Amino acid sequence: MSSIGTGYDLSASQFSPDGRVFQVEYAAKAVENSGTVIGLRGKDGVVFAVEKLVTSKLYEPGANKRIFHVDEHVGMAVAGLISDARQIVETARSEASSYRSQYGAPVPLKYLNERVSMYMHAYTLYSAVRPYGCSVIMGTWSDYEGPQMFMLEPSGVSFSYFGCAVGKAKQAAKTEIEKLKLADMTVKDLVKEAARIIYIVHDELKDKQFELELSWVSKDTKGRHELVPKELAAEVENQAKQALADIEDSDEGDM
Amino acid sequence: MFRNQYDSDVTVWSPQGRLHQVEYAMEAVKLGSATVGLKNKQFAVLIALKRAVSELSAYQKKIIPIDDHIGISISGLTADARMLSRFMRTECLNHRYAHDAPMPVGRLIGLVGNKMQICTQRYDKRPLGVGLLVAGYDDQGPHIYQMCPSANFFDCRAMAIGARSQSARTYLEKHFNTFLDSDLNDLVAHGLRALRDTLPNEVDLNTKNVSIAIVGPKTPLRVCDEAELTQYLSLVEGEERRGGGAAATGDAGPAPEAGDERDPQPQVNNIV
Repeated sequence: MSSIGTGYDLSASQFSPDGRVFQVEYAAKAVENSGTVIGLRGKDGVVFAVEKLVTSKLYEPGANKRIFHVDEHVGMAVAGLISDARQIVETARSEASSYRSQYGAPVPLKYLNERVSMYMHAYTLYSAVRPYGCSVIMGTWSDYEGPQMFMLEPSGVSFSYFGCAVGKAKQAAKTEIEKLKLADMTVKDLVKEAARIIYIVHDELKDKQFELELSWVSKDTKGRHELVPKELAAEVENQAKQALADIEDSDEGDM
Repeated sequence: MFRNQYDSDVTVWSPQGRLHQVEYAMEAVKLGSATVGLKNKQFAVLIALKRAVSELSAYQKKIIPIDDHIGISISGLTADARMLSRFMRTECLNHRYAHDAPMPVGRLIGLVGNKMQICTQRYDKRPLGVGLLVAGYDDQGPHIYQMCPSANFFDCRAMAIGARSQSARTYLEKHFNTFLDSDLNDLVAHGLRALRDTLPNEVDLNTKNVSIAIVGPKTPLRVCDEAELTQYLSLVEGEERRGGGAAATGDAGPAPEAGDERDPQPQVNNIV
């Protein structure tokens, strides 16, 4: 990072001598400061889980969500600057609805992902704008294509994933995700794992309060993106807390 | 004065992934006098501390009605707030015309948020230098929203913004558990006490420098007249005050609070 501060890192439309666009990398930094977001793709659907950091207890519990509906069949979980992310949500929604009105069918996620990625990428090309300070994960399930999931980064790059994580504890979350046999698991199993992972990677010392947000889109929801029902969400959250407590107990035993 | 080379405009990310221009705009909110918003099961209330720019001027308006069911209280650059309030009024009218129903509060906030975000991403614009507390009532009940220059907004149980507002937030954090079940009089009294905590010791609340707005079921937004103000002020009159600008304890608010306790003297006349 020797080129930092040499003047080549002040604009998205300028390369550094070693061929990097620093402004895009800095935008990615903004995402790394946000709460962890994970997406898991199983055999019959996709599950999203968000560690939403709560910075004041005056905020309404359960409000100010980080999971959005893009269309009936597409969900989006966001990490990074929430105000930037809402703009991406808005773009995705209008793409999805214009596809519907033109072709009379729900937008394929592959196509939607391409459009939204292009939009995000455009903001990395000009000095008059800054790259988006957010990453988003989109997911869907359909009868003919099964589950699909994409993650988009501030650079405009996007990949399809079985499991992905962004935000503060993305490394720890990825390690946990890699232990799972995602392709064999149902969303019912995944939602438990997702909750457990968020609880495990949460750093209690640095961020005191957080809320767990869970949503899914699967065969069981008939391809609709929905929040995980309250009772089930409460149940898996309790299991996650229990799992965390067990780990802490065994840690103490080792001492 | 300049913190670094990455703060020249909003299109520049700092290596830490921060937007300094947006953070500076958040500081503008703290230049305005404090305002408090809170709600119980039925009503949403805004209480604002007004300032007079000079001996000869009137106290400047802080609360702007948007529609029958929505009102805002502002802190920061007045002109930016007027732009937003005009936008919000237009959107409310259009919604009434198109749907024959009042605008849901959350929807309006989303629209304003998206409008404000654009100013945080373009070279030819600057973020708006105003913070808003929005009180509204719709079929979901009463709402208090906080809006920041960063285009962030938060659905709140209670909130305070503006100069020395940390003291008010500390008060609110201590008491917000009781708000939901309190009646309107108690609610306003809590709001007044929170607002009073932002005042220096030698100043007190009176009918001239306080503005109260109430909205609720079958209660279109009303900004209280002097008679009503007197009645509400009498609820907290003569109470012992906690030392002005009392220790800012508890969880920090949404933004870094450094410099929040500055002396709230008006510096220029475009800030309320």
